[in-house]
Order: sequence, then C-alpha cells, then structure tokens
Amino acid sequence: MNKAILNFKQKNLDTIHKYSLQLLHDTGIKFPSEKALEIFKKHGFHIDGEIVFFEEKDIQKTIEAVPSAFSVKARNPEKSIRIEEDNYVMAPGYGPPFIIEPSGEKRDATMADVNKFCKLVQTSKYLDFNSSIVVQPTEVPQETAHLDILLATLLMTDKPIMGSSVSEMAARDSLKLAEVIWGNTDEPIMISLVDSLSPLQYAAEMVDSIMVYAEAGQPLIVHSSCSLGSTGPITIAGSLVISNATTLAGICLAQLINPGTPIVYGLGGSPTDMKTGGYINASPEDAKHVAIVTAMGRYYNMPCRSQGALTESFSLDYQAGMESAILMTTAALSGVNVSLHACGTYGSMLAMSYEKFIADEDLCGAIKKLIQPVEFTEDAFSMDMIKELGTSGNYLMQTHTMKRCRSEFFIPDLNIRTIHSKWLKMEPRDITLRAAEILEKRLNEYKKPEIDQDVEKRLVKYVKERKGA
Amino acid sequence: MALKDIYEAVLAFNKDAAADGVRYELEAGNEIDKILNEGLIGAMDEVGKRYSSGEFFVPEMLQAAQAMKAGLEVLKPHLSSEHTTSKGVIVIGTVKGDLHDIGKNLVAMMMEGAGFKVVDLGADIDTEKFVKAAVEHSASVVALSALLTTTMPAMEATIVAVKEAGIAAKTIIGGAPVTRAYADKIGADGYSDDAPGAVELARKMMTT
Repeated sequence: MNKAILNFKQKNLDTIHKYSLQLLHDTGIKFPSEKALEIFKKHGFHIDGEIVFFEEKDIQKTIEAVPSAFSVKARNPEKSIRIEEDNYVMAPGYGPPFIIEPSGEKRDATMADVNKFCKLVQTSKYLDFNSSIVVQPTEVPQETAHLDILLATLLMTDKPIMGSSVSEMAARDSLKLAEVIWGNTDEPIMISLVDSLSPLQYAAEMVDSIMVYAEAGQPLIVHSSCSLGSTGPITIAGSLVISNATTLAGICLAQLINPGTPIVYGLGGSPTDMKTGGYINASPEDAKHVAIVTAMGRYYNMPCRSQGALTESFSLDYQAGMESAILMTTAALSGVNVSLHACGTYGSMLAMSYEKFIADEDLCGAIKKLIQPVEFTEDAFSMDMIKELGTSGNYLMQTHTMKRCRSEFFIPDLNIRTIHSKWLKMEPRDITLRAAEILEKRLNEYKKPEIDQDVEKRLVKYVKERKGA
Repeated sequence: MALKDIYEAVLAFNKDAAADGVRYELEAGNEIDKILNEGLIGAMDEVGKRYSSGEFFVPEMLQAAQAMKAGLEVLKPHLSSEHTTSKGVIVIGTVKGDLHDIGKNLVAMMMEGAGFKVVDLGADIDTEKFVKAAVEHSASVVALSALLTTTMPAMEATIVAVKEAGIAAKTIIGGAPVTRAYADKIGADGYSDDAPGAVELARKMMTT
C-alpha cells in the first residue's frame, strides 16, 4: 500500500477526468482575452462573457492532437533536449526576484545575478536547459527586463532556453530573438511556461502567451495548481479536478490555434499554511502532486512537468536538503519528464541562492544516477571475471573496475565522503562555505560559448532598438 | 449567564448559537453596550489572542468572525450612532494588471475579523478606482497588493494619486515581491510582509 501514491487506480484517474469534463462543461474557464474568445467562438464553443465552456469532444480532440514527444533545439546542437517518456530534463529556478546571501540577508536580484546564473547553467553537468528567468532582475525597467534576460541567456549559454510569458510583447520578442539565430522556423527552439490562475482561469498575459507561442508552433508547459484550502478545496481530489480542467482548457486553446503544438502537461497542488494562510510548496502534499502529475500525463499521453528542489528554508540546512530531496526523488521515481526549479531556490520559490544552486546540483546528479537504468550487458555481468576471481575477490585491481571507476558511480562535488579525522580538519567545513568555493571555481571556469559575430550583433541591435522604442 | 453564551458561541464558531444568544439577551432587556462589548467584541479580542498564540488556525479565526457577524446582524437594528462597531475603514485591492488575490483576501478577512470595515475592490484595480473608493467610504487606510514585479509600479501610481486627491487615508502595501525598501522608496506609509502585520499596522495607524 505504501506505493499507492505511485500507482493510481484507473478508476480514480477516470473520475478526475470525468469531473474535469463536468466542470469544463457546466462551470467553464475564464479567458480574459477578446482574441482568445473569438477563436473559441469561431470553433463553435459556447461562451458567456469571458467564460468558455467545453464539450467532451473538444477535450478529446485536444488530447489526440498533442504530440507524446518532441525535441527542443539548442544553439549548440549537441545540447538539444528530448521531451518524452523515460527522459527527465531539468532547469534551474524560474522567476524569483530575490537572492539570499550566505549570511541569510535577502536582497533584490539584478542583471549581474542573471549573468552569474547563466555562467552556472552553462557549466552545469546536470542542468539540461536554461530557464532564462533564473532570477527576475529588479533594477531594470520591468517592461523590457525580458529583453535584457534573453540577450544574456542567448549569448552566455548555448543550452535550450525558455521564452518569456510576461506579456504578448515579451513572447513576440522571444520569438524574434530566436529568429535571429534560427531563422523563420516552426521547429521547437524554445519552451515557455504558462501558469493558470486558480481557480478556473487564466490571466490575460498567459492567454496571450499561449496564442503567440502556439501560432509559432513553439512548445508550452501549461501548468495549473491550487493552494489547497485557499484557491481550491482543502482535499486533493477536488483541487485536482480544478487544476486538471484548467490545464486542459489552456492546452485546448493552443491546439485550436495550431493542432500539434507541443505541450508539457503541468499540474501541482500545495497546502495552504493553515497557521498563517501563507503559501508553501515544499511539502509531502506537493510531492504527492509530483506523483499525480505523472499519472495524469501518462493518462493523457503527454509529457509532464513537476516542481524541482523546493524548500521553505532560507539556508543550506537539513530542512532544505530533506524537502528538496523528497520532491526530486518523487519526480524521479514517478517518471516526470521536466522539472523547473531543480537548482537554487529557497523560501517557497521566492528567492534564489548560489550556494543552494551548487548543493542542488549534487542532488540533481544523484537523482539522474538513480533513474539511470541498471546495465545488464554481458560486460556488466562480467561472468568470466567472477568465475576467474572466485573467492579471491580482488576487484579493485581489475582492468574492468579501472575502466569504469570514474563513470559507474555518482561522484558528488559538494557532499563529503571522508573519514572523521579528515572531516575535523576540513577547512572550510561548513557546507555553505564549501559551496561558495565551488561557485568561485565554476565562475572562473566559465567560457562564453561560440556564436557567429553577425548573429550576436543582430541580437544586441534588436534589444537596443526595442528598449529605445 | 447568556452573555457568556454569546462569547462561547463565537469561540466555538457557532453562528446560530451566537445569533440566538444575542436575541435572548435583547428579549431579556440586557444592555446593548454589554452585549456588543462583552459578548461580541470581547469574544473577537480573545479570538485574536488565540490566533496570535498559534492556538487558532486561520480558518478557525475566520469562522469565529462569521459567528460574531451573525450575532452582530441581530444586534445592528438596535445600535445607535454612539456604538462604533468599526475600528476604521480599509479600502483594499490588488493593483492594475495583477489578478493575484490570495494574500489580499487574507488581509481583508483578517482586517474584518479585527473589527475594521473593509471595502474589498478585488483585483486588477486601477488608480482612479482606488481613489474613488477611498473618497466615497472615507477610508482610513488604502491597502495595495501585488504579486508580479511588472505590476509593482502601479502601487507607486496609486499612492501618488491618493496623495494628490488630498484625502487623509494612509497607504500600506504588501505582496511577495514587495519589500520595506520599496515601500519607503515609493512613499507608502506602511509595509507588512504578512497579513497579521498588516492588521497591526492598521491598528497603529488608527491611534496616531
């Protein structure tokens, strides 16, 4: 029974779907956008004000149109990623406007931090794509911040990127910048996040982002989540129906605009802190939703997205480790395909930390190793060697061991493996200070990836002209 | 005896019992002042204490407030202008371009629970609407919420408009991306990083 959370009964998944259809049909989802409402109307949907109602056939068509797998190209083709079942890709934090210093002090994030995180993402062994808005810089004008962020992201990293969804203009700018690199293409060259608003609606800028990216054939992570007991029922079942219905509605819009738009299905749920009414998202209930989103993703034959290494803590302590690990392990064992916030977040996603980023990389590395299938080749069985060595058992001396000694196991960069006497003499010993040392080393190792000079000039020019406008 | 019943009914989140208790006291000819202050307001003060100490959770505090309101509804027709049931008027809303309202709702509910009259404008509220409501309701405090960094500038615009309108209302702001430094920068009269803090702020502002 203790594996029940990873093995949902078909009848319960069917009920979630059935009630979602009911909600979509009877209550509807709010889309505050004239243009979106026109699109729904054109396809024969019943509308009342800004509320759109969905028939079962609309949802069925939606589900059938979504591809079960797709790739996202990177500026460096070797770093392109595959979003599909049995694959798990990770990106760092997305959106926090603050940094927590090792002292515990909270400060505003700036473009200097955006640049620094680009260097970390680029040199990361475990992060597969750049969330672009690893932090939200607060010292630049907010209407054009996305331009500064994307320029840094495109120049400083050559892994796949995320587009901006803060406004229609920002989404269009994201596509225009990508066009400078790839030309006019409908192949996926970025992925963008659309978050609905619970309960049962989307904010205007998110609807605009769905429309812009779908039209361009660019992938969308469509994500819904309730604050249990605050924006949805305190019980998971009820909140699931709200979130599932809302996510399906957003995916439907994308498919109406451009059937076959690649989608990553997103669903979460967080308990409200009943002592304060506050938002928390590093709880066992959040982890349950990580398992649930995978079940729902498989149910609809869509890749799925979960939260990453989240914690309520503001320092690199047991709580940060425990909460981050519970979420990431649940994601790994459930079979999640995409995690944002896999590195660096503190305090319910409100802030980023460089030291937590470094620590979370060990977690991501360990997780990737955990889900790597056990190898059952003849070389892995190594029967000849076993028979030859018999009871002498000296495997450390064998060539077979030496060949694999650097690749067979996970080797942490930050976590210690040492004897007590050495641990006592470690300088520094504190994990936060050791993480800071690794941070320095990584920043010094960073090399700007190659980029065609003309492409770079055009990217810089586009941003300059748009900001000046 | 029955005054205590009203008090206990509020603390037990029992709307019907609170209303019945008030009705009983009125029929018995008891003093309106006593029913109001010892039965209802006194009970809410105790609710506030239990919430602050962590004994009551938020939903329990809100249910207690509902029970108190139920009792107050029965009492209202008997109250004269001397009886102040409201500590002050709070006009609250999420600023223009921002639909997020959980935090704002929590502040509004707690303000009401603390005895303020709350005019909740909702979310995505433009400057003019804030000012109009503040004037219309003679607001003591205008409270602004934002979750998006892109909508924070609307807070400054609203604060400027409130000042230019020449009304006495103080302005307080809050929301996940908002900081005390930002509040000081844009000339807000107060900032709180959580809902109970907002209520405390408003309470202090009433006495100054």
